[in-house]
Amino acid sequence: MSAPAKNVPPPSRRYAGEPSGLHAVGASFFSIAETAGGMGIMFGRILSRIFTLRVDGAELMRNLYKMGVKSMPIVIVTALFTGAIMVIQAAPLVQRFGAYGLLGWGAGFGTLREVAPLLTALMINGRVGANNTAELGTMVVTEQIDALRVLAIDPISFLIAPRFLAMIITLFLATIFADALALLGAAYSGLGLLGVEPGVFYNGLTSGLLGVNDVMSGLVKSVVFGIVMALASCQYGLSVKGGAPGVGRAVNSTVVASAAGIFILDYFVSFSL
Amino acid sequence: MSGDEPPHERLPPGASEEPSGVALVGAEAIGLFQTGKELYSIFVRTLYYTFRGRKEPGAVAEQMYEIGNRSLFFITVVMGFFGTILVYQAGLQNKRILPEMTMLGATYLELLIRDLAASIGALMLATRVGAGIAAEIGSMVVTEQIDALRMSAADPIDYLIKPRFVASIVMTTALIIWSAAVAFTAGMVTAYAFFDVAPRTFANVALVDIGDLSVGLAKCLAYGAAIPVVSGHSGLAAHGGSEGVGWATTRAVVNTSLAVIILNLIISTAGLFIFGA
Repeated sequence: MSAPAKNVPPPSRRYAGEPSGLHAVGASFFSIAETAGGMGIMFGRILSRIFTLRVDGAELMRNLYKMGVKSMPIVIVTALFTGAIMVIQAAPLVQRFGAYGLLGWGAGFGTLREVAPLLTALMINGRVGANNTAELGTMVVTEQIDALRVLAIDPISFLIAPRFLAMIITLFLATIFADALALLGAAYSGLGLLGVEPGVFYNGLTSGLLGVNDVMSGLVKSVVFGIVMALASCQYGLSVKGGAPGVGRAVNSTVVASAAGIFILDYFVSFSL
Repeated sequence: MSGDEPPHERLPPGASEEPSGVALVGAEAIGLFQTGKELYSIFVRTLYYTFRGRKEPGAVAEQMYEIGNRSLFFITVVMGFFGTILVYQAGLQNKRILPEMTMLGATYLELLIRDLAASIGALMLATRVGAGIAAEIGSMVVTEQIDALRMSAADPIDYLIKPRFVASIVMTTALIIWSAAVAFTAGMVTAYAFFDVAPRTFANVALVDIGDLSVGLAKCLAYGAAIPVVSGHSGLAAHGGSEGVGWATTRAVVNTSLAVIILNLIISTAGLFIFGA
């Protein structure tokens, strides 16, 4: 045995001739440009299928069930805990000023505008985005996509467009759900930790400082996040190369790219609303 | 196929193979309990090997590079944008209630140190590092490299999880301190640009006390320990081919993020009761 059992896997990403310095910057710029361009082209193709109604209905329903219904447990847990954390973080401010009536406003504002859409998107990104890439990547590796093409079935309208729609619908509905549950969690942790009655919390929430704009802002964000996640996960899934490790790498890059995309677009949406 | 027929043929018409109702809840509870037990076992063995196992500074350094240096760019971008959004939104709300902004920076810094830098930074690391660990270990499982390790009497926990565990605790702490600095600087620039708050007024440490620092550091350590253990568990549980690796990576991201959120709630509540508001 000339090759001993390695205690660590061979560092595949740091191969011998890795370019350094400017080369690396240029190479990563090209690869980012390639991915972004691929996502743009895919977006155009998906839209053309959606507007001409060439979307597979059965696949859409299957994906809605798989992405939406099956994600409910983590959305529920995340939302309830997030609401509780918002109250814990607001507690010192509220106690310092004795402003118990404002707890509902403080928690509600943060939850509706930022935290609920953002955390729901991050959790769904982990579950649905990663799963979607893994599924598409497995299909690519086992040549099922090529088989579809051979059968003259358009992979975009059969596989990609239904997933795209399902992911956006899932994220939109999950955000509404998470808004409500996070506020519920916040109201009851306010009662448990600070002794603020849920009624007082509700008054703070509805006293006029928060408007429908705050809710809409969160929901617009959820749609934007859904588009980013869907495009990134489909693009990375379809460009998988090299067996099982390739699928793992693709899933890894998907979640990283979507998470970065979610934060960057959050910035632009926050400023443009 | 000998005598016994597949189970779904014995079910009454209309019933599906998937358990429903009480059976589903029970199965979930048992699964959760088992996952908890396995996580505890991996955690204890990792701790044991950290103190008693082989010393391999090379492997730890390599993982530190992989987990730390390679996440730096990602963390910097995300936390920069995050700090900007947060101060912008907080400033807008602040304006609705009282027009003076002198305490904006102090409140923001306290919140950042106590919670946001650690939690948002760790959620990002859970995504990047957790998925990476699970994908790597999962690929090794499906290509039977883990079985080869076991056959050579080498515990995969010692060889694979332990270096990542040590590296992750060190690098998560370092990256979270860095991300707090990035988010604070981004917030300072935003406050100056949009609300005319002078940087000198914004950089106010008056509200940061020992309680905030301890809670923040406790979170760094807890998240740093949780990320490799939870994602390593998902990676080791992979089975099947490329589908298994994808499934393990998905599970790792979800479970690691959930672990961060749950630990956040526990540590924040403990901090609230120990140090008061």
